[in-house]
Amino acid sequence: MQLDPVTIQILWNRLITIVDEAATGLMRTAYTPSVKEYHDFCCALFDTNAQMLSHSTVTTAGFLGIVPEVMRNFLKKHPPETLQPGDAIITNDPWIASGHLIDVSIASPIFHRDRIVGYTLCIVHHLDMGGRMSTLESKDMYEEGLKIPILKLYEAGKVNETVFEFMRANIRVPDKVLGDVRAQLVANNVCTRGLKALLDEYDLDGLEELGAEVIHRTESSLRRKIAALPDGAYRNDVVLPKIPGCDDEIEVKTLVTVEGDEVTIDYTGSSGEVGAAINCSYNMTRSYTAYPIKLALDPYVPNNDGGLRPIKVIAPEGTVINSRPPAATWGRTMISHLFPEIVFAAMENIMPENILASNGGSPANEIYLHGRNPDGRSFLAIAQHSGGFGASARCDGYSCLCFPNNTRNIPVEVTENEARMYYVRKELRTDSGGPGQNRGGLGQEVEFCILDGGTELARDVESSVRLSGRTEDGSFPVFGRRGGKNGRGSGMWANDQPVDHGIYRRLAPGDRVKFVLSGGGGYGNPLERAPERVLADVEQGYVSIEQAEIDFGVVIDAGRMEVDMDATAALRGRMS
Amino acid sequence: MGTKMTTAYRLGVDIGGTFTDFAVVDEDSGAVRVEKMLTSAKAPEETVLRGVESLAAAVPDMLAQTSEVIHATTLVTNVILERKGAKTGLLTTAGFRDILELAREVRYDIFDMFIRLPEPMVPRNLRLGVSERVLADGSVLVPLNEAEVRDAAAAFRDAGVEAVAVAFLHSYRAGDHEKRAGAILREELPGVTVSLSHEVHPEPKEYERTSTTVIDAYVKGVAEGYLDRLSTGLQERGYRNRLFVMLSNGGTATVETAKSVPVQIVESGPAAGVEAASYFGRLMGLDHMLSFDMGGTTAKLCIIEHGRAARTRTFEVDRVHRFKAGSGLPAAVPVYDLLEIGAGGGSIARVNDLGLLQVGPDSAGSDPGPASYGLNGAAPTVTDADLLLGYLNPDYFLGGQMRLDIAAAQDAIQTGLAAATGLTAIEAAAGVHELVNENMTSAARVYVAEKGQAPSHLSLVAFGGAGPVHAVGLARKLGCPQVIVPPFSGVMSSLGLLAAPVAFEGSRAVRQIVNALDLDAVEAAFQELEDEASALMPEGSALLVRRSVDLRYSGQDYPLEIETEGPCNDAAVKSDWEARFEAAYNELYGKVDDDNPVELASVRVHVSQPAPQLDIARPAATTDAAPKASRKIYVSAQASMESVSVYERTDLRIGQEIAGPAIVEERESTTVIGPGDRLSVNAFGCLVVDLAIPTMSGEDSDDVPVTVAVGGG
Repeated sequence: MQLDPVTIQILWNRLITIVDEAATGLMRTAYTPSVKEYHDFCCALFDTNAQMLSHSTVTTAGFLGIVPEVMRNFLKKHPPETLQPGDAIITNDPWIASGHLIDVSIASPIFHRDRIVGYTLCIVHHLDMGGRMSTLESKDMYEEGLKIPILKLYEAGKVNETVFEFMRANIRVPDKVLGDVRAQLVANNVCTRGLKALLDEYDLDGLEELGAEVIHRTESSLRRKIAALPDGAYRNDVVLPKIPGCDDEIEVKTLVTVEGDEVTIDYTGSSGEVGAAINCSYNMTRSYTAYPIKLALDPYVPNNDGGLRPIKVIAPEGTVINSRPPAATWGRTMISHLFPEIVFAAMENIMPENILASNGGSPANEIYLHGRNPDGRSFLAIAQHSGGFGASARCDGYSCLCFPNNTRNIPVEVTENEARMYYVRKELRTDSGGPGQNRGGLGQEVEFCILDGGTELARDVESSVRLSGRTEDGSFPVFGRRGGKNGRGSGMWANDQPVDHGIYRRLAPGDRVKFVLSGGGGYGNPLERAPERVLADVEQGYVSIEQAEIDFGVVIDAGRMEVDMDATAALRGRMS
Repeated sequence: MGTKMTTAYRLGVDIGGTFTDFAVVDEDSGAVRVEKMLTSAKAPEETVLRGVESLAAAVPDMLAQTSEVIHATTLVTNVILERKGAKTGLLTTAGFRDILELAREVRYDIFDMFIRLPEPMVPRNLRLGVSERVLADGSVLVPLNEAEVRDAAAAFRDAGVEAVAVAFLHSYRAGDHEKRAGAILREELPGVTVSLSHEVHPEPKEYERTSTTVIDAYVKGVAEGYLDRLSTGLQERGYRNRLFVMLSNGGTATVETAKSVPVQIVESGPAAGVEAASYFGRLMGLDHMLSFDMGGTTAKLCIIEHGRAARTRTFEVDRVHRFKAGSGLPAAVPVYDLLEIGAGGGSIARVNDLGLLQVGPDSAGSDPGPASYGLNGAAPTVTDADLLLGYLNPDYFLGGQMRLDIAAAQDAIQTGLAAATGLTAIEAAAGVHELVNENMTSAARVYVAEKGQAPSHLSLVAFGGAGPVHAVGLARKLGCPQVIVPPFSGVMSSLGLLAAPVAFEGSRAVRQIVNALDLDAVEAAFQELEDEASALMPEGSALLVRRSVDLRYSGQDYPLEIETEGPCNDAAVKSDWEARFEAAYNELYGKVDDDNPVELASVRVHVSQPAPQLDIARPAATTDAAPKASRKIYVSAQASMESVSVYERTDLRIGQEIAGPAIVEERESTTVIGPGDRLSVNAFGCLVVDLAIPTMSGEDSDDVPVTVAVGGG
């Protein structure tokens, strides 16, 4: 059947709807806030050649480069001719799949009219996979938890209890985590049903023609956008913020080459693997390196395998950017979350309208809390808070908006129902947004306190709070762009003493942990920001009267809440 | 004088942005009468009362014999869309005043780094925190500091705040602090309305609860004043029973409930339309339909499958990006899951900065209204374009009750659009008509896809004053093969109010493992709910009672609703629930061998009247009606004005067929069909249009990518 453009559009919509329905099935049957609230997952649909045709609208950017590789790796171990209806394949191998053990990938073949017509995959960041969990201190993979090699979780519809038993024996909250594993199976079931319904409805034997069409369209569209950029090589070498417990200085060397309708990002010369849990797998590096290109150049055409083809990522093996087993990988986002802005900075001069200043919450904050309930059972909770969004040529950055991963926060009330703690505050931090003609979004100040469970067992709580580690005077601040100033504020305190982030700390009842997520970087010269916009910021408490003068050169009469235009003109004259 | 012995009428009144529609059914004969009036934007209740008087003029003492008045209104929605609600303050737990602005800290589109987010309904300087803290288990960590509440009240007073939302952490578990703070605020701020989050939406997740409460506070004053004036007005005119208001999910509420939680009636008007479309769908046995209600201000679409309209437990108001879930402000109330587009007869057309024609989303409403209404409206609107294109009859609008000024329409389009674009007035008018159809098509295409449906399987059921005028054009673009225009299509929502039985639903959270349930307590909860719901029903009505249980695997959030028969006094009921839950779960999600225990999340009772029987007068003619006239209309396939036959709808015979292009006029609306389309009249008096060739728009070549926008959830 020759597909006409209108039918292609309808079916393309449907391919996305199918994986979105799978994601809805996942969320509706999930057990932990990691899925229900945090949305750290991806559902995807593939053709028979394991080319990704669509992924769920709700997902994190980190999966986008990973997902296509996982499916291909599964098929290397279990070739199509060995698969049966009702099979489900599982792994959490960081190098085969998603870059750290906590992410579990499960895939199934989709059979229709007695042959495989495609594959469905669901990856979820789980609450627990045993081991030391959320710490940057692990020296190798073996400390980090249970590794599941590629195995069949279901074979011809029959459950492999052995896999479930191994997992159950190794994790702290097995009922919930295994419940989420089953929710992944639900997602794959829903996806399978959706695809079969589509094929029946349009009387198609397979996805070959449709798949080729949508991939080609996504690929050629991105290629056209790349071709419009000036050819050239653009370099950006940076030294990353210091990682607690790791003495190595980590340097990322980046050469972005635009040539015709392709972009090559070459990380050659970057630092080698380190004995801390921040090493990236190549898949992970590819996700966050390709993401900013599509984001900046071609955001409105749906993504699929074609969105990766014009982008080449070179990362020599053995570097912190392309590590080998058994490197420790838990906190790989400490590096990979920075790739989008490293790439943006390299390309700043060739596409100044299409970049963002740095995000104050990148690399993403991550909080783990675990301990025992009075009944002796473990509890485990995760949370995340975002920093200020970077400003752009178009607009101010929003306050506390996630980038680049795009996970939702976990409501205060949900976390407090999971863990023996309460939040003391969670609010915007005045003056934290980087000044600029467009201002960076505000960051936030968060504080929590441990509650007593009433028994010796239910007393202390282990907690790790991972932050970006970026400081205003460090090698890698929250950069402003095009004359905009850096984002401000960051740090962490336990009972008012400054402490390291990203490592476990034993907290007793009454102990308080406070941390600040930075505001986003500004864009453009702050002295060119319209005084009335500065006044509006002061009225809302986003900017203080003092900083309005110091950062923006705007003098405000506090009594009348008006801009003193003469004083402002004079001050701005002196400052520029 | 035929005064009856029993109360024998039911009255439905739906206020839209432009028109207020009335339908009254005689309970004895089932006969339906309708009325339609321009809505007074300043005092919509006066429009209602005038309409009621007009209906009652024909039947002395009608209101005294009326058993139910059921009301739907877009008033609340419009207050939100136009940001015309109360100046609202927000009182929160100290340290958490920014929850409303922080929202969920996520981008609703992962590939769009320039997304826009809606402005918080309460700006930061009107968000105040007070010392108090309740923990997750409901215990009090910090008692409420009443002095701080009074200080906050003073600050709100100084700022001229008219409504206050109170949203403290964990109030869904222990609402005492909110209650006390509310009492202090009412004492300190007489005349200021107060909404408490544990009353509006007693569920965890602070952002969603706070947002819902803020919206409630924002609209409460307007809704209260309006509903009070309406109740009083009806009583003064002899109505002796309760006033009922339709909820956003098609349920009914007493006026007291609607006033206390007005956020629940935000979508009442659209819900009434969905009820009406469902009614005709059931009559005709349609399994897959798309209801299309186009009025003066907005168009609403809703997928109805097998008689059940799509539903959701939360919706968003004021979406910044109409395609994208997450781009609006969440209101956690049960609603029909419908698509609302700023496209109506009153939508204003203009030439934008790029020199391009643009239609909507703002509307001229009823005041000043389209230029052709002759009420001093100068801006050209969709109605003006439809008039100029010959689709509307200037002498037969509302059956001639209102005359449309064709010269004014011509003038508005000539001055406002044609001059700036170099088009003729007819070309500009055709552009407006085409563009508003295109706007609706692109939004509908995504909505239908989101629901996993193909337009080619859906019958478009069109109503609202402008619906039948645009339905065939929309269906053609969208790819729906069939359009159905029910009788009284211009006042369908008011008919929907009568077609839906008065019904109340109550639920009680249980949260216990089924295996360990105390069945006596469950039975007691069921009976309490039945008593509560029955007490709200109109007096003397026969009641249908339906029980259900919300079951899930312990640890999950989302339950499945399983119907059950009472009483539950036998242990066998537990295994029956478990077995039926597992069967339903496997059916929906496939078999995944979950081994967690099944939990009873809540019990639910639904009490309703039997479904009302409407006797909608069927066409009486026994011979095919001849055209009553002919006039020139714009035929887009030919891009010219062509002379076509005009039929009077009430003259048509059941079974009569009409070939397009043609026009069928009725009092409240006009159906326009194009060349090759075939219209027939079915046994229920519906016009059924089978489209010529359902082709879809969207030119595309090999190297132009198809742009697809699908919202995430």
